[in-house]
Amino acid sequence: MFASQRVIRSSIGFSIAAGLLMLTASASAVDYLRDIKPVLKARCYSCHGALKQKADLRVDTALSMIAAKAVLPGDAAGSELIKRISNEDDDERMPPEGHALKEDQIAAIRSWIASNAPLPKDEAAEDDPRSHWSFQAIQRPPLPADSDQANPVDRFLAARQKEAGLITQAPALRTIQLRRLYIDLIGLPPTEKQLKDERPWETIVDELLASPHHGERWGRHWMDIWRYSDWYGLGAQLRYSQKHLWHWRDWIVESLNEDKGYDEMIIEMLAGDEIAPEDPETLRATGFLARNYFLFNRTTWLDSTIEHTGKAFLGLTFNCAKCHDHKYDPIEAEDYYRFRAIFEPHQVRLDPVPGVTDFEKDGLPRVFDNHLDAETFLHQRGDPKQPDKELKITPGVPRFLSQFATKIEPVKLPLPAYAPGTQPFVQRDHLAAADTLVEKARENLEKVKVEMAKNATLEKSPAKKAPHDSESNFPLEDDFTAFNPLLWTLQGNGLAYKNGHLEQINPSREPGQLVSKHPLPRDFEVTCRYTTTGGPTYRSISFRFDRDEAGKNANFIYTSEHAPGPKVQAAYTENGKTTYPADGRAKKSEATGKPQELRIAVRDQLANVWLNGEFVLAYTFPGRRADGHFSLSAFDATAEFHSIRIEALGRDVQFTKSKNTSESDSEESLDKTLRLAELELESAIAGQESVKATIAADTAHYDKTKAPAPALEKAATEGQIKEMEARAAFEMAKHEGGDKKKLSAATALKKKAEGQREALQNGTAAYKSLRASRKALETPAHKVEDYPSVYPEESTGRRTMLAKWITAPENPLTARVAVNHVWMRHFGEPLVETVSDFGRQAKKPIHHDLLDFLAAEFIESGWSFRHLHRLLVTSQTYQLSSSNRGASGENLQLDPTNSLYWKMNPMRMESQVVRDSLLHLAGDLDLTTGGPSLDSGNAKNRRSLYFTHSPDKLDQFLTTFDDADLLQCYRRSTSIVPQQALALSNSAMSLQSAEKIATKIGLERAQKDFITAAFDLILGRSPDSSEVEACETFLSELATLSAEESNSSATRFRNQLVHALLNHNDFVTVR
Amino acid sequence: MSKHLHLPASSFLHRRQFLHRAGLGFGGIALQSLLQEDGFGAGAHSAFDGKPQFAPKAKNVIWLFMRGGVSHMESFDPKPMLTQYAGKSIDETPYAHVQDPDRLKNVRVVVVNDANGKQRNVIYPLQVGYQKYGQSGTEVSDWFPHIGSCVDDISVIRSMWTTDDNHGAQVQFHSGKHRLDPPAPTIGAWVNYGLGSLNDNLPQFISMGPRYFDKKDGHYLGPAYDAVKLKIDLKNPLDYAKPESDLSGEEQGLGFGLVNRLNRLAKNHYPNDPSLEARIKSYELAYRMQTAVPDVINFDNETEATKKLYGLDQKETKSFGEQLLAARRLSERGVRFIQIMHGDGAAGAWDQHSKLKEKHSELAGQVDKPIAGLLKDLKQRGQLDETLVVFATEFGRTPGTQGSDGRDHHPYGFSVWMAGGGVKGGIAHGSTDELGFHAVENPHYVTDIHATILHQMGLHSHAMEVPGHKRLDMDFGSVIKEII
Repeated sequence: MFASQRVIRSSIGFSIAAGLLMLTASASAVDYLRDIKPVLKARCYSCHGALKQKADLRVDTALSMIAAKAVLPGDAAGSELIKRISNEDDDERMPPEGHALKEDQIAAIRSWIASNAPLPKDEAAEDDPRSHWSFQAIQRPPLPADSDQANPVDRFLAARQKEAGLITQAPALRTIQLRRLYIDLIGLPPTEKQLKDERPWETIVDELLASPHHGERWGRHWMDIWRYSDWYGLGAQLRYSQKHLWHWRDWIVESLNEDKGYDEMIIEMLAGDEIAPEDPETLRATGFLARNYFLFNRTTWLDSTIEHTGKAFLGLTFNCAKCHDHKYDPIEAEDYYRFRAIFEPHQVRLDPVPGVTDFEKDGLPRVFDNHLDAETFLHQRGDPKQPDKELKITPGVPRFLSQFATKIEPVKLPLPAYAPGTQPFVQRDHLAAADTLVEKARENLEKVKVEMAKNATLEKSPAKKAPHDSESNFPLEDDFTAFNPLLWTLQGNGLAYKNGHLEQINPSREPGQLVSKHPLPRDFEVTCRYTTTGGPTYRSISFRFDRDEAGKNANFIYTSEHAPGPKVQAAYTENGKTTYPADGRAKKSEATGKPQELRIAVRDQLANVWLNGEFVLAYTFPGRRADGHFSLSAFDATAEFHSIRIEALGRDVQFTKSKNTSESDSEESLDKTLRLAELELESAIAGQESVKATIAADTAHYDKTKAPAPALEKAATEGQIKEMEARAAFEMAKHEGGDKKKLSAATALKKKAEGQREALQNGTAAYKSLRASRKALETPAHKVEDYPSVYPEESTGRRTMLAKWITAPENPLTARVAVNHVWMRHFGEPLVETVSDFGRQAKKPIHHDLLDFLAAEFIESGWSFRHLHRLLVTSQTYQLSSSNRGASGENLQLDPTNSLYWKMNPMRMESQVVRDSLLHLAGDLDLTTGGPSLDSGNAKNRRSLYFTHSPDKLDQFLTTFDDADLLQCYRRSTSIVPQQALALSNSAMSLQSAEKIATKIGLERAQKDFITAAFDLILGRSPDSSEVEACETFLSELATLSAEESNSSATRFRNQLVHALLNHNDFVTVR
Repeated sequence: MSKHLHLPASSFLHRRQFLHRAGLGFGGIALQSLLQEDGFGAGAHSAFDGKPQFAPKAKNVIWLFMRGGVSHMESFDPKPMLTQYAGKSIDETPYAHVQDPDRLKNVRVVVVNDANGKQRNVIYPLQVGYQKYGQSGTEVSDWFPHIGSCVDDISVIRSMWTTDDNHGAQVQFHSGKHRLDPPAPTIGAWVNYGLGSLNDNLPQFISMGPRYFDKKDGHYLGPAYDAVKLKIDLKNPLDYAKPESDLSGEEQGLGFGLVNRLNRLAKNHYPNDPSLEARIKSYELAYRMQTAVPDVINFDNETEATKKLYGLDQKETKSFGEQLLAARRLSERGVRFIQIMHGDGAAGAWDQHSKLKEKHSELAGQVDKPIAGLLKDLKQRGQLDETLVVFATEFGRTPGTQGSDGRDHHPYGFSVWMAGGGVKGGIAHGSTDELGFHAVENPHYVTDIHATILHQMGLHSHAMEVPGHKRLDMDFGSVIKEII
């Protein structure tokens, strides 16, 4: 009874399954290997295979399923496997994640079981994950014997090619080879002379590898892989990466140029602060970690650190183990958090650099262990809100590769590392800075006094207008027909005198500035006629006054033709930060292309503005500087300036009161200015005293050879409190009735000072050591001042352990991953396709032996990139033609994707190389190396790697040619889009470069000679006859088009010919 | 053209990657199909061949996005209870349960800031009246009377929710991914990726107006799928639109001609090189685009009546109206996805933490007429049936007041609407609770909008995946069946 029922049930099962099969596939019988195994592999192996055996079940062989009784041959319905995969209860159903198996997949399994689960022949169990090829120690394979090639690269490849019956292509033309080599090794195309270099290949290779530009070229590659990004955020608020991260970029370039070992580079990047805590040169390397800084979320910050440390150096996708054990690789979720624990204590700070105390100007971004006791918890399902408090997480590397890990040894730090304010240069700089502040405040006070005296005289003068003061050069009138150096200085680029007016030719967000030579009268009026002619977005014309030399402080009025709301706006910049008050704004009508007349009158803090004779705005500025210059500029706009008149304010000007403050009369305002100047001086003096006292206390406190000096410490405390009090008094007076936020900050400071004073009286106050570094905020709610100014005296040593493990010669991944990256950039394709994942998803490469040979060679050479580069580029393979021309039919049939390197792969130039090449061929490239990041713009001709590189500031031209993805760029994409055609055809840079290149080639050359020389220089090869003909036809067509013939038109045509060649596919291609 | 480059079937990934990298920013798939026709991609991936996967209802999308967060209660989801309980704190109303911690847990905080992203407890009354419009009687606030007059062509979805309580929700609305997750392609990029070009002279994915702070769309699909930025500026409609020199049109034409002739001749030196083919094609498109793009924004041939319909005659509506008129002209010419954002400023102009009444009414005044004009114009031209217009914003605003006259960010419930492209008219789908706090009936996460758009365009949202970039169910969304 029981048996027959079972038979019936299973036969029903079978017929249903068969029916379904008929519906879904035309397949005859179910084939285990074809229909079932791949499904189980994709969906089940990660938990029931070699990696893991949940519930002691493996489903990677039919036999193992039967042995575990998950499959009962002949009884589909009774088989646990079927019960679980077809269960409708989500808690019971397998697989637990993602969709259930599809109906036809279940039906196939059911059918296979019902037909007694026939076993495939010789089915092998899944390999042990630890036996994956890339997890095996690197062993130098023997060179293939059967080849006469001298270079090991050629030898390995020749063996494969011979086996496959492939014939290699001929070597490329010498000039093509040289162009390839120059672009590859230094990122710049060869000059005409360099293309004719007949010295041996090796000599040229060595010369290029020794060039300072080699580090720039390959530095940019590693900046891709190591995710270089300049800081970005909101306004001045740092949210991502770090300010002045260019120090790390310079370290990368310099390290490559001195051929520092890759192992050493990794150690410095991960643990420079532990191995050389006093060496700023080495500390720069830790920018690698500082780059991951994220203001809002520590977990996101550390996730990035973990993911990209894993991918960049090890080709391991740790990130997949954040929420659950890795699906493919033997990395458990716990390993993920053990890895996190290595980084848990670290934070980022800016250290002082000599001569600079303002961290907005410069500072060294670096990491250090700050929270030595910070605990790490496993986040259940990756959710930070669900820490597993039961499980103790200790720092460590993934267990499956931990055999060669060393012990974690804490590092004692030297004084300058944990108390940066004790370094003599820092103390000197802080004293000097305090002195400067006092000096400036004193000068300012003097000026205010002089101004008051002047004002008193004016009061008495009966004249309606201020008398002409010949010394002051006012009134000043200019119709901008030509530059007048007596009146103006011209700063920056982009402003030029043209067609009888002053013109901003190209829109820029860093426009040129016309600055008055002489300081303005305190009260003045300006009338300017100008036309905003265009611009991308803001189209602003700015009139600054009270401007200091660097433009970091100014009051100003501007007009904007920005489409959603053209306006007149009063604004002010303090220490580089600009405020655009809402009550300093008035709407106006759009006037692009129309001349406008703007008149500004300023009396003390009150400004009135008229546009084309109509009053539009009254605004009271929060403050005036006692001395300052006037400037005009066009921001994000093109504009023509027709005329200007600046004069001392007439007594009869009728002012409209502003809404933002009650009108105070001029004398009162001057009184306030005087009072502020006095308070500012007091505050500066208190600051100076405080710095002195602090340094004295620090010197005594940190000198362990001497007895403690409580008197000095008390004096320092007293000094610091006085400084707070004086600053609070000044700030409160300054912002009274003005900026509410600043006023409340000043009030808070006053409160704090009061609290400190009380504590001092109780004997509980302690002085703070000199604050000489700036720790990046851990959350937006924090303030720098609330952090201690001295850091832990010890570092955990965790990151040193990590770095040593990564660079241990026993580590099977590090060298392989690096060699693969280098190979890909020389040969256009990697040896291992998944460049950032060498885990089990990465198939064993065809050229496994070559990869291992190179990795072994790399390690044995002292991890020398220079050695590796030389080995690769001196191979015959590297020098082959990239063309299919003349290739045997077999080659194209047998290996159409060139996986065996029977020819060279052509490569699209990286965006930086496109721009640098244009400028370099034109002789325009400024080859200065290193230094702060520069905002892009055609005006600057530095190499592209020095451009600010952040999501907020991307260069438009570079973006068009697939600039590095800032989040992850282990390999660049190379698109071919029409925007590239437009950029190369229409950009001023390309057009101007063409002219200069044509001149350099030599316009005096005969036409055919010129064409040949242009091809040689730009494409690295001479033209064939039909190409010459096409060019000649083009030149004659141009001549037909042009009415007159002259030398200048001939030049123009040749410029256009060169321009066309710059647009040739083979200009942007490395052949 | 060559037919000699044969790729073995096993090199799918390789070929796909090539096509991917060689893809064109617009007409990207056009190039792919071109290469396929030429035998370069024969037998390649069948999921995207540049054609819809099933019969589409819509050919293109006009995506209108109000940056900053439009108050749902004061636009398309009026809540009279707010006026009734004005001044009371939420826990004094019968709806105190809306603040149960359990119901608030979806939110993921990126920006910690006292100034925004907070619960605001004291109920702020409605700042505007509303009325029923059309035969459907859907209620619309008095700030949007023109859109109200089109309501019988509109499906309002009043039950949206998202998880980012700050303006990162703009990124989330476009890509479905929270700011704390790795970035993902936006809906416009997916449409561009999934569908072929209908016009080889124009980009298939265009953006106008101020971008939100994520300036990219393609992300892991590659820069070829980023939107091409268009400006309503005849002199300078897009980057590098014409020579930054005195080169004449004829000279430039000859130059382009030479470039293409030389690239073709280069095939003698480098036969069977797909990059040469792609490069030639890209120059041809670029050259045609130089004329086609300015033509789109040249409104000379539009009647005065049409211009008026879009509000081009009024100062406050002119700028947005021009973008919408350009959008109609782009959609007419077969551009697949036209993304227009409104509301400049770091966070977006609609971000009324204060002065809600003054600012919202002003901003609504800038967009209401042009949007209604667009709908009417599309309709009278018979284009509305195949053009899907979407009106969206990143989140709603709090029922409670911030300061004396503002509302804070509110991710738990808000409204968007769709019209045309096979979407039913006169529907108000889903709802929030009486306070407009939570989406309660038929709640929809932002990707449901994406799934619905893709569905109307003839694409399965679940097919929108590329190797190496696993997506969750939530990332794909579900089609909102009730409105189509």
